[in-house]
Amino acid sequence: MEAVLEQVEQLPALLAVSRSALVRDWDALTLDRALEWGRYFQHLHDRFRTRPRLREALGRRLRRGQPSPLLGFPQLGRCPQLLGLALLENRALPPAACRRLIHSLLQPAGEEAGPEPCSLALLARRKAASRLLALPGGPPRAPEEMGPQPRTEAQLLLSRLREEVREAEPAGEAAGRLRWLSGVLEELPQPRAFEVVAAALLLLLLRPGSDAEQAGDGGRDGKSLDGNQASETGDEGVAGLLLSWLLGNLERFSAFCLFLPGSLLASLAGHYSQFSRPYLDLLTGWGSHLLYDPLQGRWVKSCLDKAELSWEELRERFTCLCQGSALLKGQTQAALKLLKARDGDFTVCGLSVWTDLLMEVEEYLRKEAKRQ
Amino acid sequence: MAQGTTVPKLNFEYWLDKAIEWGQATTLESQKDVCLHLPQLQEFLHQIYETLKHMDSIVAIQQFPLIGQLLGRLCWNPFVIGYDESQKTLMWCLCCLYSSEPQNPVELKANSWIRSLLCHLLSSSKWESNEAESSTFISTLGYTSADYYCHLVKNMVFPLVTELRGNQFNGLNIQGRVSASRVNAVSLFCVPLITLPDLTPLLETLLLYHGGASKEILSSEFLEAVNEAFLKKKISLPESAVFSLWLRHLPSLEKAALYLLDQLVTTQFNSLEEVACVIKDSLLPQAASHPAIFRIVNEIFKNALLETDGTPEVMTIIQVFTQLFLQAHQNENKRKFPLKAYFPYHHQPLLTALLRRPFELPTTHWFQHLKHISAMLKALVEDTNISSLADLFEIWFLVARFGEWLDIAAEQLLKAAVEPDALLWLLAFYYCPQNENQQRTQTMVEAQAVYNHLMMLFSCTVLSVKDLEAAVHSIMDIEQRCNQHLITHLLTNFLLFSSGGHMIAQKFIYHITRTTDRSKEVCSLLIRTAYRIKHNGEENQRTLKLLNELLQKLTSKV
Repeated sequence: MEAVLEQVEQLPALLAVSRSALVRDWDALTLDRALEWGRYFQHLHDRFRTRPRLREALGRRLRRGQPSPLLGFPQLGRCPQLLGLALLENRALPPAACRRLIHSLLQPAGEEAGPEPCSLALLARRKAASRLLALPGGPPRAPEEMGPQPRTEAQLLLSRLREEVREAEPAGEAAGRLRWLSGVLEELPQPRAFEVVAAALLLLLLRPGSDAEQAGDGGRDGKSLDGNQASETGDEGVAGLLLSWLLGNLERFSAFCLFLPGSLLASLAGHYSQFSRPYLDLLTGWGSHLLYDPLQGRWVKSCLDKAELSWEELRERFTCLCQGSALLKGQTQAALKLLKARDGDFTVCGLSVWTDLLMEVEEYLRKEAKRQ
Repeated sequence: MAQGTTVPKLNFEYWLDKAIEWGQATTLESQKDVCLHLPQLQEFLHQIYETLKHMDSIVAIQQFPLIGQLLGRLCWNPFVIGYDESQKTLMWCLCCLYSSEPQNPVELKANSWIRSLLCHLLSSSKWESNEAESSTFISTLGYTSADYYCHLVKNMVFPLVTELRGNQFNGLNIQGRVSASRVNAVSLFCVPLITLPDLTPLLETLLLYHGGASKEILSSEFLEAVNEAFLKKKISLPESAVFSLWLRHLPSLEKAALYLLDQLVTTQFNSLEEVACVIKDSLLPQAASHPAIFRIVNEIFKNALLETDGTPEVMTIIQVFTQLFLQAHQNENKRKFPLKAYFPYHHQPLLTALLRRPFELPTTHWFQHLKHISAMLKALVEDTNISSLADLFEIWFLVARFGEWLDIAAEQLLKAAVEPDALLWLLAFYYCPQNENQQRTQTMVEAQAVYNHLMMLFSCTVLSVKDLEAAVHSIMDIEQRCNQHLITHLLTNFLLFSSGGHMIAQKFIYHITRTTDRSKEVCSLLIRTAYRIKHNGEENQRTLKLLNELLQKLTSKV
């Protein structure tokens, strides 16, 4: 067993090498060996995935060999693809080895060229499918729904986070995990990262483990045992991690709330109490920066700083919040009433932004109720 | 050195021109054109690969200087890449062109270009900017493009399914209506992806989609391709989707029926169970619960019968089909049409009598029932109102498809001590429906003679071949073919069901098959009898055993 553990510890190094310029010196034989290692690791994964103690042991050993938790036990299962594709993209790989690589990718050793299609052919096919299915002309997407790309990225992110929360040593690791999550999300441009995090938080609200089940280990047919073990507490941990990232930095949080549509944010606020409070505070802050312009007869931003909401946008946000759950609606209206009272409890327009907001929001809700 | 290349140069130019014309398939015409040519293109690529794999990469470029252009362009056409196995073949071709020991800058460049193409196909490529964003993210998470695209496709199929299904429940809600051109476009874009398992929910939704327009809005390329894939068992669809396909696209239904016939006629079957299995798998009997489908399949079968001059194989297929159709109809618990709706132009009492399955009656009542059928039929046929040949054929076809009863008639003649006339007439009609020149009457007379002869031998416990030889000669001598069939039928039944006949059955049947050309017919009859005995609850172990032995020996010879 110790021998196996030692081998597993080498995987991160192997991957790192296959992405580096060190492959310059590889020949066809070396490549074959590397791919064989990949298959061996996959074999280990298949054997041990139903044995929790051994899984843990292997997972722990894997992490020991890495500065940041890049790979966990489930990654062992997709080793051949990880290695193969990394090597394919590595331009330093010399021609002879590369030819051997392409050959092995198309005709994996040890598999009969039988009914099971070469998984890479399937990948190419799916990639083409994603281009074909992206045909324009569909119905406009509701703002709370995520596009397929952010949704996919969110599913994978969730799957990974669930592993982290479950497999990594829980004690004292929270800060490290947060740092890791930050680093990962920095790989995306900020607007995209926001979409992905929002999508992930929304996906967690569906039946736990449903979507991410398919993003579990062994990307072969999407079935996994990991998904079945996605527990309530595990998901809470994941949500907690995502929210910590979101709320940890005020600038980031404001950017998040500026970028995403009101209905989506209202959805998040309705389900995550850690979110609704700071969100309301943020809106309050923005609202209090608005000034009344008597000449134009409306509320305007005090400085034309783009990083704040305009009156119309603010109103829209509050309206969305009031269209959420009864609890959220109650909270929002109570907050607005409190702010109005603190501001002087005016009933006339133009004196307090909160009076006006409350009035317009309630007006809108009345009209909506009448329509239905 | 001119090896005979299997890829004529002419074809190459043709496909290169096509590839240039299609570009990345962004216009409707190019998309339709690609879809039409996908199967041939795949075949062509396969041929190229077969040629390339024996060549060195340098020789390959010399032989096909433009191959780089062709493959490069095709790699950018998502219709081509998405189709069946084209992507695999393309990648193999690229692999063949990759040089493991590049000697000069040109080869190095070619290698680099092939590398880029493969990356474009399999992971992220520098040519597609929107991928760059997510690819580092995905790999930092520890996943690959394989995982990403697996989920992405599912996430794209799902909203399309919702969009199309939404329309069903909206009813008259115009707001939610999907435009016909949109549905048409979706169906066209699915054509290359039909055999991709992720798409099955979308295929199903499309097939079941009814927009309320009177014209078909699904593209015909789509319908044909789905039918093709279903017939070749490359995809599996729920029954309702298949029925919908056939109801809305007549050519697909016709193709399915002809495909079934072809399958059955070209395969050697050892038992009727196998035939029944194949027919059931085709879903046609179940689909025939829709009267429109039944009518069309009926016509196709009739034509097949006429074209093959009424060969017993085709007749048997029709008979089994009819039985399975009746079974499926019985099991159908949604709204059912009465059986009479499927046979609208026929004499109702006769139809009702024929529709009774033998196992619904006790065996002792079979003779009466057959007598009744025979009487009705005789009255119908000998009525001078039957003017045309076509009408006569219709009546004959109706009776013939319920062949079970005919077989039972022959069996009853030789098993039970019954009055033969009605049953003999029935069989005579089956084998010789026309009577302008008194053919049927003549057949009847000869059949009676043979029958009497056989009845005399019936009680003999020991028989020799010679005793029956007289009967054999009458098979060979008689010119009228219909008599030959009838007499073979009677003889075979005699051998199966009389105690004396049992003993010499094997010898005699081999004799028949060697000296006459009746072997296929006899085989067919034996198979039908075996099936009938097993499924009608007749107690006849001895006969069954004999049948099995005979069939085993016969089918290994034939």
